[in-house]
Amino acid sequence: MTSLKVFIIARAIALIPTILILVTLVFFIMRVLPGDPVIAIVGMKAPMERVVELKKELGLIDENGNEIPLIVQYVNYLMKLVQGDLGRSLIWGKRPVVVEIMEHLPATIELAIAGFLVSLLIGMTLGTIGAGIGGKVNSAVRVYSAVAYALFIPWIGMMLQLVFSVGLKIFPVGGRIGVGLEPPTYTGLYILDSLISGKIDSFISSLKHITLPAVTLGLVISGVFSRVTRVSVEEILKQDFVVAARARGLPEYRIMLHVLKNSFIPILTMMGLQLALLMTGAVLTETTFSWPGMGTFLLERIQYRDYTTVQGTVIFFAIIVSVMNLIVDVCYAYIDPRIRY
Amino acid sequence: MYTFRPILRRMVLKMPLTTIGIVGLSMILFVVFMAVFADFLAPYDPTKSVGLSLQPPSPEHLFGTNKIGQDMWSRTVYGARTMLIVVALSTILSMIIGVPLGLISGYVGGLLDRISTTIMDSIYAFPSLILAIAIAAALGPGIINTAISIAVVYIPTYFRMVRAQTLNVKNQLYVEAAVAIGAKPSSILSRYIFPNVISVVTAVFTLSVADIVLTEAALSFFGLSVPAPTPDWGFDLRAGQPYLVSGYWWLVTFPGLMIIMLAVGFTFLGESVSEYLGLREVGI
Amino acid sequence: MFEKLLRIINLKTYYFSRKNVIKAVDNVSLDIFRGEIVGLVGESGSGKSTLGLSIVKLLPPPGKIVGGEIILDGENILKKTDRELRKIRGRKIGMIFQDPLTCLDPLRRIGDQIIETITVHLKIDKEHAREMAIKSLERVGIPPDRIDDYPHQLSGGMRQRAMIAMATVLNPDLLIADEPTTALDVIVQSRIMDLLEDLRNERNISILLITHDIALVIERSNRVVVMYAGKICEVRGAERIAVEPLHPYTKLLIQSIPDIEKTEIELKPIPGSPPDMRNPPQGCRFWPRCPHAMEKCKIEEPQLLSLGEGAVACHLYGG
Repeated sequence: MTSLKVFIIARAIALIPTILILVTLVFFIMRVLPGDPVIAIVGMKAPMERVVELKKELGLIDENGNEIPLIVQYVNYLMKLVQGDLGRSLIWGKRPVVVEIMEHLPATIELAIAGFLVSLLIGMTLGTIGAGIGGKVNSAVRVYSAVAYALFIPWIGMMLQLVFSVGLKIFPVGGRIGVGLEPPTYTGLYILDSLISGKIDSFISSLKHITLPAVTLGLVISGVFSRVTRVSVEEILKQDFVVAARARGLPEYRIMLHVLKNSFIPILTMMGLQLALLMTGAVLTETTFSWPGMGTFLLERIQYRDYTTVQGTVIFFAIIVSVMNLIVDVCYAYIDPRIRY
Repeated sequence: MYTFRPILRRMVLKMPLTTIGIVGLSMILFVVFMAVFADFLAPYDPTKSVGLSLQPPSPEHLFGTNKIGQDMWSRTVYGARTMLIVVALSTILSMIIGVPLGLISGYVGGLLDRISTTIMDSIYAFPSLILAIAIAAALGPGIINTAISIAVVYIPTYFRMVRAQTLNVKNQLYVEAAVAIGAKPSSILSRYIFPNVISVVTAVFTLSVADIVLTEAALSFFGLSVPAPTPDWGFDLRAGQPYLVSGYWWLVTFPGLMIIMLAVGFTFLGESVSEYLGLREVGI
Repeated sequence: MFEKLLRIINLKTYYFSRKNVIKAVDNVSLDIFRGEIVGLVGESGSGKSTLGLSIVKLLPPPGKIVGGEIILDGENILKKTDRELRKIRGRKIGMIFQDPLTCLDPLRRIGDQIIETITVHLKIDKEHAREMAIKSLERVGIPPDRIDDYPHQLSGGMRQRAMIAMATVLNPDLLIADEPTTALDVIVQSRIMDLLEDLRNERNISILLITHDIALVIERSNRVVVMYAGKICEVRGAERIAVEPLHPYTKLLIQSIPDIEKTEIELKPIPGSPPDMRNPPQGCRFWPRCPHAMEKCKIEEPQLLSLGEGAVACHLYGG
């Protein structure tokens, strides 16, 4: 077995306690906290049968109406979770939570990827320019990083809506695609699907819809990337191998390639750390632009007090972020041969 | 290594703020001023309907009025109070839990350290806002509940940095020497380790406050923070959004600007302070 | 042996900070002949490394060449454009540094780094370049199967060999070796020096060996150039300077070499410390530490005058 494979397996095993802790945390937060969720859902005046039925659905009481101890509820939940079962929604047809999540996941992935690309583009460009030129330009990039990081996503989104949707009418205010233009599903990502199926209308519409959300999300996260790029390019430019490469007569663009590849390791680490920020940002962006993804879904279900779905969605977020961190670690090991020990 | 007093003196008296730091501090002080003197600055009761619906900015209503005729300037001014109270409460909460836990975990080590580190790292890796949303949704609205939801998310930030610094100091020769001559753990913690931890706590504080501001704004934007009609910037932003399409720009512009001003202010100050303390790569 | 390859004439390289100017290389002239090994020796801060970097015009930012000429093959390097300079670097002048680990890109295989150097300068295909890279590695004693290793997989001595292979793969006329063996242990050090000498003998390469180690330059070079505080104080053949040093600083340097003949080990460090380069002493820069300092030394700066087969800058010899 190659060292890279060993590395991946070791990291995957290390993921288990992390996920377990988060599941436990979320489970107990949703149970132990004050207030009776059942009453909260069905209302004070609900008939007794309705309450009992709901308690059974929530796994609070067994078939005979006896209360199930919390710890047993927890173990039951874990057992189901391992089989990929997050329970059923409490409203609207009581569909499995996993199914509902899967319906909303592609929209979030599409937005996250687009926002991420925008942030990388802006961040790495600005960071490289800042570190490369130095002086006043560098300070300006520094200020940009600090300001961009502190921009409140809904506000930036609304300002963009005000200018580009309400004022200039270039981009739509919200939504994911024009009515009736949804492409057939291959990947779930509308931009890709419309390309695969060759539907130009759908492609243009989905591109128009994603522009403002992606720019909003990208702008805010670009602060982090411009900072880390600037700092790491500055660091690498100081290293001896840059002088040594110049002494071998390499042209500047080639030297920049060496420098960027080397500064990519801290940037990649930062990407891993920013996945959480990306998710946070996506939730805020989605609700600002009525983007039908996981964030919009989660907040909608909170309003309906659909506790199983809320719990399931939060746990799902925990798992997805952990897995994405693992993927980043693997990329990290792939790029830098020094960490595969 | 330093003892307690020189650190305080260095930090408080001789802190040379960079230009960015001064700009940031002024922004923060502006918001603090608003919050403290809200009763004088706001001409109307922020929770009551005091004018016509959806009026644009005018001399009577500096920032216009909203759908139910509340004065947006008064709501913006009082919103500073809500924001700062939540920020202060959640910061204090996460500090009084995160700092001692980090100290003990780092100092005692062993199994306790392993367990608490794993738990804290798991929470730390999780998207902060989503966890805060889950807690806030379960707890229900209210200032204290919001503060708790935010605090849970930031405890690990304090814990991690304090623990790392504790380990670092614990392994210094002079501390090992003190242990060897029989100093009590309590005196080692208070005399050697705690003073060194202070600068780390300062840095984490300045770097995380901006995040806390944004998290509060987000929770209130989602309607999970204080209940209406308490003035709260994020809430007003959400309330104003449906009218954006019709061109009522003033409903969202001003509360949003306040959120950003406070967050940028803390980020600038944090940048300046952490650079001074030589902890630039902390946190962010 | 007497063909002049490189002429440095009245070179001045200064570092500019907001408050003051550091004259790291101050009016230095030096010729390097084809096929000769010149040992440039001095304490840290004497300007020897700055001189080496000036030759390829690769000074770190506050540093600037403010005067003088550097003539290679009859052309002044200092007047060349960046593009022309890049053709000289790596092709006509190779360079190796003290710490080969930090001087190699840690993320690229050594072979690829050599190939990159070749393809930047010569219009040949990759396979040819790879053959050349393998040959150059073999030449410095690295087995061909290590060509795809990353720098961290090689030992310190191997890395320096790889650096040398990279710097000499295009057969440069001049090799600037800045403290090439300082980071290595004694045995590896002597093998690396053997390798450099072989290269000189085979290809008639000139080598500028920059080091703080006077014993090394006496043993390994043809001519020794001693620098102190940005100036040359003595230039002489290696055998001569070992037995008959003229400048008081050179004498002290040579006395400071531990003598293996004697049983008791007594190190004789040079008294005093190097001058503050922001504010060097008036007159001769060495006088505060010089056992023979006279009143004249404190006022008048001695000139580098030819004496016998070499040159010395000291008032004791009329300078």
